[in-house]
Amino acid sequence: MSADLIQPFPSISPSTAVHLSQQAPQILQSSSSLSLPYPLSLLTSTETQETWMTYENLLISCLRTGDNEAARRCLDELLSRFGEKNERVMALQGMYEEAVAENDKELGAVMQSYEAVLKEDPTNMPIRKRRVALLRSMGKTNDATAALVELLDASPTDSEAWAELADLYFTQGLYSQAIYSLEEVLLIIPNAWNIHARLGEIAYISATSSESSDRGNTAKVLSDALRRFCRSIELCDNYLRGYYGLKITAKKLLDALPRGGKGAIATSDGDLPPPPVETVEKLHEIATSKLAEIVRRGSAGEKGWEGYDEAELIAARALLDKDEEKVER
Amino acid sequence: MGLLSNSLNLTGVIFLTHAVYSAYEHSLLTSSSSSSSSSGEITSLPLDITIETLLSLLVLCTGIVIGAPSLRPIQWAVWASSVEKEDHVSLEQRRALVEEKVRAGGTVGNPFAVLDQRNGFLDIRAKRREFADWVREGGAAK
Repeated sequence: MSADLIQPFPSISPSTAVHLSQQAPQILQSSSSLSLPYPLSLLTSTETQETWMTYENLLISCLRTGDNEAARRCLDELLSRFGEKNERVMALQGMYEEAVAENDKELGAVMQSYEAVLKEDPTNMPIRKRRVALLRSMGKTNDATAALVELLDASPTDSEAWAELADLYFTQGLYSQAIYSLEEVLLIIPNAWNIHARLGEIAYISATSSESSDRGNTAKVLSDALRRFCRSIELCDNYLRGYYGLKITAKKLLDALPRGGKGAIATSDGDLPPPPVETVEKLHEIATSKLAEIVRRGSAGEKGWEGYDEAELIAARALLDKDEEKVER
Repeated sequence: MGLLSNSLNLTGVIFLTHAVYSAYEHSLLTSSSSSSSSSGEITSLPLDITIETLLSLLVLCTGIVIGAPSLRPIQWAVWASSVEKEDHVSLEQRRALVEEKVRAGGTVGNPFAVLDQRNGFLDIRAKRREFADWVREGGAAK
């Protein structure tokens, strides 16, 4: 059985999806051998935990590439193994129906089936999540947010749902709510370095988008972002995303901080004051040199430095080049 | 590394078996000879069998230690850095990693990447549109 279907890359590119779904015929063929009645089938079955993970991933990548027939066969295998009442399989079936629905009427029917299931059993979390996803997909962002908040009321330790809520708020431009949701994720998983970096990114975006507001507030949000990026670097050595964010944030913060007079920014009680200018300058220097090192050694493919995303390296190099140009002028 | 550890283990097992068998034979020999001479004294093992036992054990231990999988980093940041990179390697490398680590009951790549990806909330219709656009732009020709 293919290894890359057991645990595929987190973000599947279209070409990878094609590659994955092309394996469908042979995997489906290998499964449809003879099967004995129940007690005997226990002796002959060769299924492992990975078998069903493979089917699930295959189903999703077939749906992505539009291969509905193969997806249907994967789903049938899952249905015959786990039955129609299994929550996870129910959600996968719902996803299949969403994908093959051609118009809004059919999508509405899928939505009604979700609601019927939830009326019977409101604790069916996979279906509740599908319902939120479908609402979002249909453009009803407000309804999706309300449904998700309700879900989180019932299950406040679901980090995936908090992260989704943060993304929903972020797309609506509600940055402080998005930051709050991501902080909830960090309460559940305090060491997730990518969430720290994401928090820094959202704080940075919120600081740059609200140009009109007073400098003090901008500096405060930016220094929050700076701290988030620092934490993500602390948790993950040579983290390109963290250093990139640290560099642009430090640069922006140097503009926002008042020169000379220390403590000119009034802080409301309980907040940490923004870091002194010298510290920010030092952080900027460190980030620049580290980024240069990562770009140099990462694109040369040195041992221990491989495994950086090509696009990310190019973006980092562009940032460094832009910086150099300014110095020369 | 695999070959070296396997050959060391094999050598160690052969010599250990030989030493044990020699000791057994020796004990038979002394017991039969001692019964004829009717003296209850316990004779010690010859020096060469003792040395063979110890050496074979040493070889066996070395082989097992060499054959052990590489240790995982104990510092969070170092470990995080190594798993972060596993998400951006080539397809072949990824396949090898999955073979090696998932079969051993582990996971590959950043375990927190699910928070960026959120499969439970996957918007399958958007993904299908994205894929169709990619095909239209001639991505399949690659």
